[in-house]
Amino acid sequence: MTDLSRRGLLKAAAALAGGGLLVGCAPGASRKTTDLSYWHLLTGGDGTVMAGLVDAVNAANLGFHATQTVLAWGAPYYTKLAMASAGGRAPDVAIMHASRIAGYAPGGLLEPWDLDLLAEVGLHESDFPARVWEKCQYDGKLYAIALDTHPFVLYYNTEHAEKAGVTDALHAMKSPDEFTEIATKLQKVTGKHGLSYGYLGDGAQMWRLWYTLYKQTGADMKLVPGQPAEVDKDAAVKTLTFVQSLLNDTIASRSGDGGTATSEFLHGQSGMFLGGVWELPVLKDAKMPVDALPIPTLFGTQAAYADSHTFVLPRQSKVSPERRKHVYTMVAEILKRSVKWAGGGHIPAYQPVAKSAEYQALKPQSNYAGIPASVNYDPDVWFSGAGSDFQNYFAENVQNVFLGSGDPAAGFDGFVARLNKLLDRPQPV
Amino acid sequence: MSTYTLSRGIKQTHKPGENPWSVSRMAALLVLAVLAATWLVPFAWSVLTSLKSEADAGAAGITLNPPDGFSFDAYRKVLSAGDIPAWAWNSLLTSVAITFITVATSALAGYAFSRVNFKGKRWLYAAIIAAIIIPPQLLIVPLFRQMLAFNLVDTYWGIILPQSFAPAMVLILKRFFDQIPVELEDAARVDGAGRLRVFWSVVLPLSRPILAAVAIFVFIGAWNNFLWPFIVTTDAHLMTLPVGLQTVKSAYGLQYAQNMASAILAALPLVLVFLFFQRQIIKGIATTGFGGQ
Amino acid sequence: MSTAIDTPAATAEKVTAQGKARAKRGETLTGWAFAAPFAVLFVLFLVVPALYGLYLSFTGETLTGAGSGLVGLANYGDALRDPDMWKSLGNTLWFTVLSTIPLVVLSLALALLVNLGLPGRWLWRLSFFLPYLLASTVVVMFWSWMYNPTLGLINGVLAKFGAAPVAWLQDPKVAMLSVVITTLWWTIGFNFLLYLAALQNIPEQQFEAAAIDGAGKWRQLFSIVIPQLTPTTALILTLQILASLKVFDQIYMLTNGGPAGKTRSIVQYIYESGFTGYRFGYSSAISYLFFVLIVLVALAQYKLINRRSAA
Repeated sequence: MTDLSRRGLLKAAAALAGGGLLVGCAPGASRKTTDLSYWHLLTGGDGTVMAGLVDAVNAANLGFHATQTVLAWGAPYYTKLAMASAGGRAPDVAIMHASRIAGYAPGGLLEPWDLDLLAEVGLHESDFPARVWEKCQYDGKLYAIALDTHPFVLYYNTEHAEKAGVTDALHAMKSPDEFTEIATKLQKVTGKHGLSYGYLGDGAQMWRLWYTLYKQTGADMKLVPGQPAEVDKDAAVKTLTFVQSLLNDTIASRSGDGGTATSEFLHGQSGMFLGGVWELPVLKDAKMPVDALPIPTLFGTQAAYADSHTFVLPRQSKVSPERRKHVYTMVAEILKRSVKWAGGGHIPAYQPVAKSAEYQALKPQSNYAGIPASVNYDPDVWFSGAGSDFQNYFAENVQNVFLGSGDPAAGFDGFVARLNKLLDRPQPV
Repeated sequence: MSTYTLSRGIKQTHKPGENPWSVSRMAALLVLAVLAATWLVPFAWSVLTSLKSEADAGAAGITLNPPDGFSFDAYRKVLSAGDIPAWAWNSLLTSVAITFITVATSALAGYAFSRVNFKGKRWLYAAIIAAIIIPPQLLIVPLFRQMLAFNLVDTYWGIILPQSFAPAMVLILKRFFDQIPVELEDAARVDGAGRLRVFWSVVLPLSRPILAAVAIFVFIGAWNNFLWPFIVTTDAHLMTLPVGLQTVKSAYGLQYAQNMASAILAALPLVLVFLFFQRQIIKGIATTGFGGQ
Repeated sequence: MSTAIDTPAATAEKVTAQGKARAKRGETLTGWAFAAPFAVLFVLFLVVPALYGLYLSFTGETLTGAGSGLVGLANYGDALRDPDMWKSLGNTLWFTVLSTIPLVVLSLALALLVNLGLPGRWLWRLSFFLPYLLASTVVVMFWSWMYNPTLGLINGVLAKFGAAPVAWLQDPKVAMLSVVITTLWWTIGFNFLLYLAALQNIPEQQFEAAAIDGAGKWRQLFSIVIPQLTPTTALILTLQILASLKVFDQIYMLTNGGPAGKTRSIVQYIYESGFTGYRFGYSSAISYLFFVLIVLVALAQYKLINRRSAA
């Protein structure tokens, strides 16, 4: 009586098990060695330029075809990349911010580049700015090839500056007071705000400006797991107080978010705009009279916050040497074409391009081409970097200060306490 | 076995002896109309955007008659990019598999709990009841590790298997089987039919409505599930519709009309199915929602 | 859930003791054969990960495999001292309160209105239920567009009335509210449907009797309808609270937990600690702490409902 049912169930179980065998032949398991998978997080103007570069390299018939997958910027991208590397199913090559290498290289999620193979495709250390090359290293090995440096800069509306008579002063200013004075003059011209700066709900934006100014005081921030954070509180309070003083609803909106700030500046309702170089295409498309400068040295030392897009090799469980070779070629070819990338505002890392006449002719890009020499990346620690929680922690503690309701010293202390908590934990990579 | 019916009020629009045009009824109708309109606005606004040109969609202000007029351009572009049809296929494939396996295994197990006295039954039953309150969201980390070990990350089976059982559905089916008179089975068993035969040819045909209800419920849940497929897939070709739409971005900038066209396309299959099978689906959800009572 | 699980397998024939034993063995084999496909999946994908997660919570395991080995209760200690854990838990509870109340009250109101038998019934039912069929991703795409600070419909309408634009998802004061509104729109259909079904199962005679007694509409509502719906309300409340506590999708996609962690839910924190922060052990410990909370909530509800039905 039970025989029939048992046999039936056995059959069903066998069918299920048979289905299990299908697992081995999941799609994507057998790719041709000429097909390269390439992940990045570049959308908008950057995405368009990158897609063009990939198309151009594919069209050059170098024996491979790269397919790009674009994932959502920030934590979602980096989480997926780490999960893919942990599973050994990572793409052949991916874009990573230089500031994130410290969070990926030590955990074995990345593989180092081979200097000899790089030389074969014509890439050498001397082709990159020293500080940028250095940031791409971890523990003496090269984990990333930089595509660009993208700093935080100061844009200004040339017509408004002319009218306010501050064009020369903009280039020459050396102190917070001068900055405030210029911004006040510009405010009188626009009738709305002197400066646009969007930060509300965006930790990265708060961090970029503050860290630029903090580094300008000559202060440092050293984060070593197992030790308390080494910071300069006086410098931090001084610079936070300065930022707070600008966000007074006259010089700049107290509660500007990214979109509002950009559109305000675009429509001539402010004279200056603090933003990343990646904002340039939008401003240029609007055909507004705009120029860009490195953020003026207001606190004595030349310094700029920046990050770099770099190429990395995520860990794969099975590496095909042929495909790996193609990746080297692909990266070299993209770098050689990176003057196109500079069109999006970024400073090319590849020096033959950065020094080329074609790039030097790009305005206002070449105005800030010298920044890589004084660039400051996020502190080197596994939890910092673009789109990381680190910048969120900064926002959580400091947003009130920016909004005018919080005390700079208390806000900064809160941030440092948070960092100490993280430093106290075992490093997970 | 009382499944909920929602058809009653349709014929009877007002109670006898009541003025169908009374002020209070009109007021209620007005409130209802305003609420329903509010509920439909996000759909309407998204459809409207998806039919505009990118330039018009990205212009500030509410425009009901955009300068560039309306067209299906955004849909054409989204469909020709190829991702959405592929993701829809993945969604369909995995959801059908999940539904089939869940219904089959739940029905078999529900039947065992209802009809068979086996050793360990109480113990297993208690485990299932206890399991109902374990939210699958809490298992993502160990489950991901496990799928890495089984080599099932980035496979269809990796998406399907962890979603293919539902303790609550076992209980629902068991309760339904409990209400089927045993005599119906006895007659078949006197004829010498085995348990599986009886189950297949006597019990299942009687259970069609509840099986359909469970299947509808499971399918909708699987089609729309986000977290697990999101965790277990990193390969863009294997993503389901909800995961792909969220994870993979267009390289060509913020394109509002195309974005909305993608959303509408992703919503369309279930909405269409719903429009055709409204009564069955509503009944299925209500029945399953009440735990099959 | 105390319905008899021992429905006899109705073989009423008389059997010898030996035959009885054999039959019993047969029954056990049959029972397990029927239950096996489910039991295998249940054990593999629920029991095993649940136990494995418990083990992980006592280890320093990471995504990269860097840390390993037992660390005792360190993860639990860390979690209890982690301000982000408490904040996410607080956000989750706050979201549960903010979402559960309207999701129960408004769904009842909608069901009562639709049940009045006004014309256009299928349209009303469709309007309120349709969003429930959408994937969270689609819901979020719709609502991100509605909430868009410069191009969105909501601020567009506000502007027509001369109101200042609101940063619905970026402003820490309103972000949670925006998330709740989206959730309300998306999920109310389910509760609405359950109420509607329950309403239609209230016997007509009760209304007739009440009408003969001269009870007005509102009296009928409070003396007949709402008491009759008590079991349904209890069920909806239970399901709703547990569902709200588990919130992840729409918040993750609308605000990613921001601004400044103001909307981050506990499930998102579990996801982030594990996959973004790489700490599998730590993430598992938080999962278990949260699970304890869920069990407590479930027990409390069970007690409350039992006491009420006993009274």
